Parts: sequence; structure tokens; C-alpha cells
Amino acid sequence: MSTKVAPPHETALSGDYAKVARPRRLSIYRAQYIAGRLLGYLILIMLTVLSSFPLVWMILTSLRDRREVFSGILLPKELTLAAYKFILTEFRILDFLWNSILVTFFTVLAVVILATLAGYAFAHLDFWGKEIIFLILLGTLMVPGPVLIIPLFLQLRDFGLIDSRLGLILAYIGGGLAFSVFLMRSYFKTLPTELIDAGRVDGASEFGIFWRIMLPLARPGIATVLIFQFMGTWNEFIFAATVLHTPALRTLQPAVFALVGRYSTNWPALAAGLTISILPIVITYVLMQRQFVAGLTAGAIKG
Amino acid sequence: MAMIEAKHPGTSLLNFRTRQKLYGYLFILPTYIFFLVFIAIPFFGALGISMTEWAGYDQPRFTGAKNFINLYHDRIFWIALRNTFFYTATTTVLQTVIPLLVAVFIHAGWRGSVFFRTVLFIPVVISFVVTALLWQMIYDPNFGVLNSVLTAIGLEAWTQPWLADASTAMPAIIFVSLWQSLGFYMLIFFAGLQSIPAELYESASMDGANTWQKLIYITIPMLWPITTVVIVINIIGGVKVFELIYVMTTGGPNHATEVLGTYLYITAFGATGGGSPSMGYAAAIGVVILALAMVGTIIQFRIMKERSNVY
Repeated sequence: MSTKVAPPHETALSGDYAKVARPRRLSIYRAQYIAGRLLGYLILIMLTVLSSFPLVWMILTSLRDRREVFSGILLPKELTLAAYKFILTEFRILDFLWNSILVTFFTVLAVVILATLAGYAFAHLDFWGKEIIFLILLGTLMVPGPVLIIPLFLQLRDFGLIDSRLGLILAYIGGGLAFSVFLMRSYFKTLPTELIDAGRVDGASEFGIFWRIMLPLARPGIATVLIFQFMGTWNEFIFAATVLHTPALRTLQPAVFALVGRYSTNWPALAAGLTISILPIVITYVLMQRQFVAGLTAGAIKG
Repeated sequence: MAMIEAKHPGTSLLNFRTRQKLYGYLFILPTYIFFLVFIAIPFFGALGISMTEWAGYDQPRFTGAKNFINLYHDRIFWIALRNTFFYTATTTVLQTVIPLLVAVFIHAGWRGSVFFRTVLFIPVVISFVVTALLWQMIYDPNFGVLNSVLTAIGLEAWTQPWLADASTAMPAIIFVSLWQSLGFYMLIFFAGLQSIPAELYESASMDGANTWQKLIYITIPMLWPITTVVIVINIIGGVKVFELIYVMTTGGPNHATEVLGTYLYITAFGATGGGSPSMGYAAAIGVVILALAMVGTIIQFRIMKERSNVY
């Protein structure tokens, strides 16, 4: 591994050396500095390897031949897509992927719309009981998921919504709204009230002010909510596993979990399943890195 | 502004106020319906169920505090509570100190550190379930890559049945949690570091402070507000930990990694189907988790209040 990454910091070193060459008297400090840089890069490389190795290993395992898995060598002798073929045709992972896309899409859509409306109302409209209503909503943020799973499960059963994707979507919307409303309210609060007053003076309707003036300005806030909700819904496991029983209805997380029970000895298939299941979210992350990082860290700091 | 039609040029002040109220309620109504049906009612339901004996399909029988008294005498509950505390305390310390150090280190400026941050953040977007399954394979005693690597570099004596041994299972899970969350907490600290004015470091350098002194006397105090946020997120996450442990060990071996979350779920829905589910008892465990999470949240509100006083 280390031979592979050697060139970049060699060039970094030689670059430093070129600068160093002139003031000879400082060579001891310079040597110290270079040693420090070297050590620093070593730590950096070690951390990068530690972070990425499990995922690299997962992908390598998914490309192995089934009989060759337990040979103990890190790199496969030859690469094969057999595991992917298996997971696509036998396990039909695309069906679960589709379930996840459906559930995530409708949940995120509903949460973004409802949280934008409510967030705007809490930030800029004046109505009786606003503060207390908001505080009650906020208070539920501290209720951990496992506490609600029992009553929610029983309630969905009473509604006849157990083992239904609609039931899961409704529960997800309910669970995601409080935090998203909180984020949207914080964002709308950063927008100047003068815009609203100007709209009112011009005789715009309340909905017109929201729709035409404030909503276009709230895009960064909406992006944050979208990312938060997308990640949370796509990765959710407990509720999905508890609510959906019919295997064909499962979303990716419980499906992948069930994969282990079914093919526990077929490691390339397992690894291929895991790889496919993380692809959508990792690709989204790599494409929208800045928004992801900004959204998640802002959410954490505000929350 | 031309697009905004001047509909009510003569609207009185009272009308305008009423309209605002009307829209206010209208805008929050759908959110509140969802909130009531899927959060508020289940929440009080959970409190109610915790005082009953109920298998989930028969009629619930009110038993008062009986579930809580039984919990008090339940050996496994105490193991789960102790493990929850251990997990929470350990992850909170590790997942605060290490990300802080890494953030400070990265902030010193290195070629390729953007790439590094990107890579470090990838585990953050991956679900608990996939993370847990992946590490389950890595830790596998016979074919897992961890034991293979240890054998390959001559440390065969260190090979372990990592998740099957009561003494290594919990540390192994905690390491996975650290692996997954490092990029997240690191970036929170990194954002904080970028907001520290550079003049502070410059004047300290002029006064002859070394790197270590700058870390102790400038960086850490300036990052304190962010650090408290990280600590609180860690505490709340630790108290309700579930998926990582449920998937990797189901609380085993012999309850060595049993936490409140796994004990609740297994009590309510069964791990392997053994024994009848008891919703009332599980709900009582939920009330304990709720109480612990509330303590964490109260600390958070205290800190947020202090912060709002500062800024």
C-alpha cells in the first residue's frame, strides 16, 4: 500500500527542498520541519486507509469468485461480476431498491412541503399560541425512536396500515417533521421581515408573499432539510423492519439485513448487496458534497 | 413585484391580522395532524402501555408500577443499563477527543486534505445496518479480513473471535461507531476551527507560544461551545444506540453487549421468536430510555441558553 502512495509526498518533499536549499544555516530547523511534514503525511495516509479500507475490501470481496473468497489473500486472483449477477437476478435487489426509492421520495416530498409551510408560519406569521405550539413540537425531538416503536406499531395495525409502504411513509413523515420544521423556521428567521411588509403594502395575499417572495429565497434551507430527510429515510431500519413483513415490500435496509440470513456463506453476494445498497447515497454525497457537509453539520449544530 | 396582484387595496388592519392568523393555522395544520397522530398519541400510548401487562394481541391489563418493579429486579435490565452507560461514556470520550485532534491536525493545512475529508465523511452517509453487516464480515473469526491481516503480519496470537467473545465484543462495536462517526464530528470541529480568528494565533506566536501551547490555550477554549454540542449529540446517540448492536451481536454473547435499545426491541418483538412478546414490559424499558435522553436534552438546553447569552 505504502509504495503506491509514495510519489505524492516525494514531490511535496522535493518542492520543500528546493525552497530550503538557500539558507544553509537553518538546515537543522529545516530538517525538523521536513520530518514533521513527513510524519504528518504518514498520519494522514494512515487515517485515509483506515477510513476507506473496509469499503475497498467490501468492493474487492464483491468481485471475487465464490470459491476463492476464503483464501485469505487481499486481492482477488481474477475479477468476476458473478456476485452482482446473482444479487440482481436471484435476490432481485432492484425491487428493494425501488421500494426504497418510492418510500424515500414520497416521505421527503411531503416533509419538505409541510415543513416549509409550518416553518414559515412559525418564523413570520403572527397567531395566538405560536410559541407554545412550537415548543411542544420541539419537545418531541428528544423522544428516541425505540420508545415510539411499540405504540406506533400497534397504532398502524389498528389503522390497517401494517405491512404497507403507505403506513411506513406516514410514520416517517410524522417522525421527520419536527426536526425539519425546526430547521426551516431557523432558516426563514434569517430572511428579512421587510420583504414581507413590502409585500403586504403592495397588497399581496399572505399565500402570495410566501409563495412568490419567501419560498424562492429559502432554497438553501430547503436543501438542508432535503438532505437530512433523504439520508434519514434511506438509511432507516427499525421501523421498516417492524412495519413491513412481506418480503416483496421491504426497503433496502431490512432487505440487506435479511440477505445475511439467506446467503450467510456467500460472501461475494453479501458484499455485492451491500455495495449496491450504498451506491445511491454515496453517489449523491460525492456529487453534492458541499451541500451534504454544510447541511449535516449545520443541522447538528442547530439541533 | 408586478406579479403580486393588488387584490385588497382597502383591507383594514383587523382583516389583515385575522388573515395572518388564518394562514398561520392553515400552514401548520397538516404538520400538526401528522404530529398528533404519529408522535403525540403514540408517545402517551407508550407511557400508558408501560403500566399494563400486554402481549399485543389480547386485552391490556392495567398493572400500575408492576413493570417498573419487575425491571428493578431484572438482572438483564441492570446489565443492559450498565452496558448502555459504558457504551455512552466510552463513545462520548473517544468520539469527542479523536475527532477534535484529527480536525486540528487537518486544519494545519496539508496537500490533499480536501480529498482526505471527502473520504473520511463517506462512512457518515452509510446506514447503520450496512456498516454493521460490513464490520461483521471484517470481524468474522475464520474468514474475516481483520484476523487474516493479523496473521499475515505475524500477530497470529492477537486473532480473536471479536464479536463472539464477551470481553472483545463491546470494544469491537465501539470501534465501529468511532469509524463511522469520525468524519461527522471531525467536520463539526473543523467548521469551528475555521471561525477562530487567525490573529489570535499570530499574536501567540509573537509571544513565543509553541504549537502545543496554542492548542491548549487558544484552540480548545475557543472550541468549547462546539465541543459541548458534540458531547451532547454523543450522549443522546449513546443512550438510544440500537441498530449497530442489534445487527452485529443481537446483544450477545450472553448479554455482553445488551443495551436498553436491544433489550426493549427483543422484549417487544422477539429476537428469534422464543417466548411471548410483552409490550408492556418493553414500553417500561422505553420510559427508562426516555428519562435518560431527557437528561441529555436538559443539559443541551442549558448549554444552548449559555451560548445564546454569549453571542
